[in-house]
Amino acid sequence: MTLRTCLRLLAIWTGFLVVCSLVIFLCVRIDRTRAPAGPYVLSVWERGERSARQVATSEQELRHALEAESARPGAQRVVERLVDSAPIWGHSWLMIGLSMVPGQDGLSVGFDGRTLYATPDDLRKLEAYEHTIPIGPLSLILGIDVSRVLGALARELATEPSELLRRGSFRRFAVVTDAPYPRTVSETDITTATVQDSVRAAARYLMRNQLRDGSFRYELNAVSGAESEDYNYPRHAGATYFLARVGNQLRDERALRAAERAGNFMKDRATLRCGAHSCVGAGDRVDIGASALALLAYVELLEGKIEAFRAPSLELAAFLRSQQRPDGEFKHFYSVSEQQAIDAQTEYYTGEAAFALSRVQRVSLDPKDLEAARHALSFLVARSPWFLGAHYFWGAEHWTCQALADLWLRAPDPVALRFCLDWQAVNRNLQFQSPPAPSTDDGGISRGPFMAPRLTPTASRLEAAVATLEVARAASLPPEQIEILEHQVKRAFAFLLRYQFSPGPTHLMPKPRAVEGGFPGSSVDLHVRIDYPQHAAGALLRYWELQKK
Amino acid sequence: MTGNESRVRVAFGVLNALSAAVLLVGVFGVVQPRFWALDVPAAIIALVELVSALGLLAKLPWAERALSVAAWVTFVLGALIVSLILLTIVFLRGIHGDFGLAALAVSSLIIALLVPYTVVLPAVELLWLGRRRAESRS
Repeated sequence: MTLRTCLRLLAIWTGFLVVCSLVIFLCVRIDRTRAPAGPYVLSVWERGERSARQVATSEQELRHALEAESARPGAQRVVERLVDSAPIWGHSWLMIGLSMVPGQDGLSVGFDGRTLYATPDDLRKLEAYEHTIPIGPLSLILGIDVSRVLGALARELATEPSELLRRGSFRRFAVVTDAPYPRTVSETDITTATVQDSVRAAARYLMRNQLRDGSFRYELNAVSGAESEDYNYPRHAGATYFLARVGNQLRDERALRAAERAGNFMKDRATLRCGAHSCVGAGDRVDIGASALALLAYVELLEGKIEAFRAPSLELAAFLRSQQRPDGEFKHFYSVSEQQAIDAQTEYYTGEAAFALSRVQRVSLDPKDLEAARHALSFLVARSPWFLGAHYFWGAEHWTCQALADLWLRAPDPVALRFCLDWQAVNRNLQFQSPPAPSTDDGGISRGPFMAPRLTPTASRLEAAVATLEVARAASLPPEQIEILEHQVKRAFAFLLRYQFSPGPTHLMPKPRAVEGGFPGSSVDLHVRIDYPQHAAGALLRYWELQKK
Repeated sequence: MTGNESRVRVAFGVLNALSAAVLLVGVFGVVQPRFWALDVPAAIIALVELVSALGLLAKLPWAERALSVAAWVTFVLGALIVSLILLTIVFLRGIHGDFGLAALAVSSLIIALLVPYTVVLPAVELLWLGRRRAESRS
C-alpha cells in the first residue's frame, strides 16, 4: 500500500464515519425541551386501571374529550402531551429495546392505518421499563421489555406480537404530563418542616403495613397491589431501628410502640443460640448483619425507656464481639448447625457491626464495645499506600461513616473522616446534575448513564453524607468544604422527596393508601420494600436531628 | 537484506508479538465471561499477528506475506471495531441525550487504546510493505 492509498483509505473511512454519525444522530434524537405540539394522549384511570383513552389533535378537542368517563367517581384524568418523536429503525426487538429511555420515552406503533400509543404511564403500569436480557454470557439492560409491550399493543390491535413487530411502524416519543408525579422539589424546598413531614409519612407507611405479630409487609407493588412473599431479617431490623428513632426523635409514641412490636418479633421469634451467645436470624446459617441491625434497634428502644431490650442488647453485643478477628474485621456468618463462626465476608456487615457496637456502648458502658467499634472502623478505613486505586474504588460505606459520626466524640478517627470525605467526593461525581440530566433526576446518584437512578443507593449514601457533614462541622472543617457537602446533601434529598409517594402516581395504583408515604425503588420501579423508607427517611431524620442541634 | 530492513523486520516482529500478547491477555485473561463476538475476532487477530511475528523474527521466507495478511486482517477488523464503537456512542448519544462526561471519557479511552494497535500499527506495516514492493519492482 502506498502512502497516497493509505491516506485515501483513511479519508474515506473518516468521511463514512462522519456521514453515518450525522445520519444516525439526527434520525434518532428527540428534543425534550420543545413545547408540546401534540397529539395529546388523554387517559382516564379508575382504581389503578386505564378505563378510557382518546387521542386528541388539538387543545380544543382535548377539553371536551372523555367528559363523561372523567366525571365518574374516583376517575382520574391524565393528559400526556407529545413534545417530540423519532423513528425506530428496523423491525427488531433489540433495536426497539435499545432505542427507549427508561422512565421518559413512550412507544407508538402504526399498524393497518391505526396508531397506538404506549405512553410512559402505560409502560410504568406494565412494569416494562428496564429489562435485563442475557446475550451470550453478557447481561444487557434494554430500555423496555419489548415482548411485554408488544404483547399489550398487539392485544389492543387484535393481532399477534410477531405480526406487529414485522409490519408495525415504531416511533419513540417524549411527553409532558399533567400528573403530579414526580413532584417538583428543589434544594430550596429542603427545610426542617418538609424533612419532618417526609419522615413522619415514611414511618406511617411502615406502621400501616405492620402485621399483628410485629413483622411487616415486606414489599408492596404499587402498580399491581401485590405483596411479596419474601422476608429478610436484616431489613426487618433496619425498619425497626428507623421506627424507634422516629419514636424517640419526633416524640411519636405510635412509632415507638410499632418499633417495640417489631423488636419483640425479633427477640421472641428470630433469636437463636450462636455458641455462648444470642444471635438473630433464621435457618442453619445466620449473618451478623441481622444481629447488628437488631442491636441498633434494641439500643434505640432502650433509649425510649423500653427496658425489656437491655439484656438482649448486651447478649447481641457479646455475639458481635465474639465474631471479631484480631485485625478488626468480623467473621460475617455463623453456622447454627455446626455451632461455629464462618470466616467469610460480604458487603455492609462490618460497618453495621462497628456502628452497632459503638451505639451499644452508650448503654452497656463496656469499654470492650467501644474498643471493638473503634478497631472495626480503623480496619474499614485502612487504605494501602501501595495501591493507587484505593482512592478510586469504593464499596458501600454508608454504615462506616455513621460509625465514624457516632464514635467521633468518644474515639475520634481523623483517618476515617478523610475516608468519608473522599467517598462523598466520589459520590458527588456520580450525582446527576440538571442540565444536562433531566430535572427529575437532579441530585440522584447515577448507576450508569442509561438507567434511571435508584432511590435507595442515593438514600444510603445520604445517611453517610449527613453523618460526614455532622463530623465535618464538629471537626471545624473549612466552611467552603462544609457548604459543598451540604449542597450535595440537599440536592439528593430533593431527588428523594420528588419520588416519595405523597401520594404518588395514584392513578396507576389500585390501593394508593397502602403505599402512601413509601419510597419506591426508582422512577420506573414502583415497588416499596421495607428498607426503602428506612434508608431514605433514616437519612432525612439524621439531617433533621443535625439541623435541630 | 540491508541492516535497516532487518531492523524494521525485527521491530515489526516484536510489535506484532506484543500486540498479540496484549490482545490475548486482555481478552482471554482479563475479560470475563467468554463471548464469541469478542473472542473470535480477537483470536483471529492474535493468531495472524503471532504467525507473522514468528516469521519475521525467525527470518522465514514467507514472513512478508504473513505480515501482509496480518496487517490487512488487523487493519480491517480494527477499523470495523472502532467504527462500531464510535457509531454506538453516536447512537446512544442520540437516544439518551447528553449522558455525561464520564461515559464519553470511558468510550473515548477505549477507542484511544485500540487505535494504536488495530489501525496505526497495521497501516504503518502496510506502508512499509508497499514501499518494499515498489522498490523491488523498480
